[in-house]
Amino acid sequence: MTHILVVDNHGQFTHLEHRLLRDMDGVTVDLTDNTTPPADIDADGLVLSGGPTMADIGHCREYLTLDVPILGVCLGHQLIADELGGRIEAGDYGGYADVTVSISDADDPLVGSLAPDTRVWASHADEVVAVPDGFTITAESDICGVEAMGDTDRDLYGVQWHPEVAHTEEGEAVFENFVAICE
Amino acid sequence: MVDVDSFVEDARAEISEALGDETAIIALSGGVDSSTAAALAYEAVGDQLVPVYVDTGLMRKGETDEIREVFDYMDSLRVVDASDRFFDELAGVTDPEEKRHAIGEQFIREFETVAEEVDATQLVQGTIYPDRIESEGTIKSHHNVGGLPERVGFEGIVEPMRDLYKDEVREVARHLGLEEIISERMPFPGPGLAVRVIGEVTPEKVAVCREATHIVEDELEAYEPWQAFAAVLGRATGVKGDNRVHGHVVAVRSVESRDGMTARAQELEWETLQRLQSRIAGTIDEVSRVVYDVTHKPPATIEYE
Repeated sequence: MTHILVVDNHGQFTHLEHRLLRDMDGVTVDLTDNTTPPADIDADGLVLSGGPTMADIGHCREYLTLDVPILGVCLGHQLIADELGGRIEAGDYGGYADVTVSISDADDPLVGSLAPDTRVWASHADEVVAVPDGFTITAESDICGVEAMGDTDRDLYGVQWHPEVAHTEEGEAVFENFVAICE
Repeated sequence: MVDVDSFVEDARAEISEALGDETAIIALSGGVDSSTAAALAYEAVGDQLVPVYVDTGLMRKGETDEIREVFDYMDSLRVVDASDRFFDELAGVTDPEEKRHAIGEQFIREFETVAEEVDATQLVQGTIYPDRIESEGTIKSHHNVGGLPERVGFEGIVEPMRDLYKDEVREVARHLGLEEIISERMPFPGPGLAVRVIGEVTPEKVAVCREATHIVEDELEAYEPWQAFAAVLGRATGVKGDNRVHGHVVAVRSVESRDGMTARAQELEWETLQRLQSRIAGTIDEVSRVVYDVTHKPPATIEYE
């Protein structure tokens, strides 16, 4: 069994990440608050959920050094960039609802299988404008230059959209790919 | 997915054990969660459970009668007509969160009264898993009776469906033989039509909203929306006959969704839209204008407030 921990940054979709993983074969999942001390984190992989504000991400920055595969979603994606030396800014064009995302790295273990493009559901005002050293931009769209990024050496990944919601077309595949990375 | 057979068996045992021979109440809204929790608990302990349905005056057309009929088999069912008290509390309130608060407070008072009358020491709630997560968030305070346990001081609270998701609750409802009007019920917000009336909630505006919602549900049935309704937005100028009217603007909303967390505004045919505006503006005197809401969720929510 692969044990995944979903870290709740108080996003409205967090429980859907839990649901999706719960219903997957070979996976056990727990949901935990972002105030859990890093020393108490014991999992094969972490999902950092979305949430309303960077001011309320608890110990998420410290989790990045735990040497465990991490998938950041929305705010979780942005906090990875922010902590590791990338840059985030308010986007010119808020990304809401339907967005078509182009996969720019078909070999990426997280989103490569979605190439050449995929329709997703998004909800964000801010966006990553520069990825940290060691990261590659793996997906982009007309309204956002860094829809996904990844560092395959450290197994840190982020997606700006919400793979856990029903209106994202290939959301489950993103979680399946992440679980495969964690196995 | 939940294994329904074993879930129902375990839930019944849990409820019986938790209640012993004490009396419990449950707030029955008619929605799938509270209805299923009530049906489960009633099977477990019979009339030891007192389901309380409060008619707030903010319900849809025919809803109260429907509930009375479906739950007729529960001898202990209480239907409380509280519409005057709710409208009194809502008079002059325009802020959406204050509205929800006023309604929540009145709900608590209504249940408090019944709980004292029947000497209930236990509370059964239809809380589901997403409620437990969402109640920490900041989108909307959507729990009518969120403050009930603290106020009444029950000795115990039983939440038999705390680990289930909505679609799993529907499966349990079907398993328990709850009629389709419950198990497949369109979601309806706790504060009722109040969140579909922008600004002050008055009996007159609620009546417009109720009638228009009835027309929308009727006309859009073929589109199988996840949720479809009408909202009363404000006033705008119109002309009916040769008279200028300053009537209500009614918004029609119809969305498809799996779980309400995200939603897509439905693509309706022009003829359908025209029939909607014709029936709504034509049969409800106070309406001068009908608009269709094309916004997905996000950025909009499904409900207006």
